[in-house]
Amino acid sequence: MDELELLKKDWKKEDQVYPKVSYNDIYNMILSKSSSIVKWIFIISILEFVFWLFISFGLKASGYNLELAGMNKNAGFIIISIFSYAVLAYFFYRFYINYKTINTTDNAKTLMENILKTRRTVKQYVFFNLVVLVIGVAYMMPYAINHDESSRVLLENAKASGELFKYYASIALVTIIGLVIAISVLLLFYWLIYGILLKRLNRNYFELKKLEV
Amino acid sequence: MDKSLEHSFVELLEKHQNIVHKVCRLYTNNQDAHNDLFQEITIQLWKAYPKFRGDAKFSTWMYRVGLNTAITLYRKSKRRIRTEEFENVQFKIKSEPYDDTEEQQLKLLYKAVHQLNDIEKALVFLYLEDKNYNEISETLGISEVNARVKMNRVKKKLRTILNP
Repeated sequence: MDELELLKKDWKKEDQVYPKVSYNDIYNMILSKSSSIVKWIFIISILEFVFWLFISFGLKASGYNLELAGMNKNAGFIIISIFSYAVLAYFFYRFYINYKTINTTDNAKTLMENILKTRRTVKQYVFFNLVVLVIGVAYMMPYAINHDESSRVLLENAKASGELFKYYASIALVTIIGLVIAISVLLLFYWLIYGILLKRLNRNYFELKKLEV
Repeated sequence: MDKSLEHSFVELLEKHQNIVHKVCRLYTNNQDAHNDLFQEITIQLWKAYPKFRGDAKFSTWMYRVGLNTAITLYRKSKRRIRTEEFENVQFKIKSEPYDDTEEQQLKLLYKAVHQLNDIEKALVFLYLEDKNYNEISETLGISEVNARVKMNRVKKKLRTILNP
């Protein structure tokens, strides 16, 4: 006899062996909170949006920026600000639309695709912010060097001692190292959080995709 | 939420709860995990219930949500409703007399099924529940041909696990 036929025969008999969960127990269960990955993805995604919004507002409100108050009137800076808020609104809208399409009554593959699509939107938003961060730093650094009093003194000293190249190179190096560390910490955090959260989903999704090849 | 909706849902689930138990049986290895998954499937079924129009059978609708929860949404959780009957039952123990050889074979078969991956388990589950390939393909989102091909591979894999 086919192995699965033997199993099926037993499977049918099993109807009697499961514990019976009472009406009240089921009722209590529907009042309890879900711990599904969709709920966690939603929470983490909202936190990510809030985090980047906070970074953006935080930088504006910081004393450092007050020193560079003149920069707020700079056309390039204003354009970047408007553009980044427009992009935030766009990504948040897309995230919301994708999130709403997640439906547990869809077939398994569609459900997985919709969850991954929602996740991808937030990932793209984070990637966008990292790019803006790098461009912003590259754009702000020369401005800061030219407008900050202590930087100007250092620059004059470097000029006088003929070490201008060394001065610029060390600033560029420190900035790059700072950015690399910040981005690495962020990516490590992502890799850990989503690696754990989406491990099973990714594995099962690739298994289904593999079938279609 | 509407009380009558709650009542009709709980009544229906109480009646068809074995489907949820069977999904839990395939996807978990101990009673705590079984209870955990049972609760999560119940929550997901309840969340989806307002959209259940009755054009499909409640049980058919349950298969889809139950499997989706097990293979996609489920995360192990420590918070769970403790249920009296649920906690005290040592399930999977049968009192009726049985054929020793067949029982041994079944034990090995269940053990082998537990070694399959999530998607293979889903195929086995739907097969054991007498679903045809059309229903299997619609539940998993793959073509009927691929469902057949995969099922044959699963059978082969089971044979290999049983006779290494």
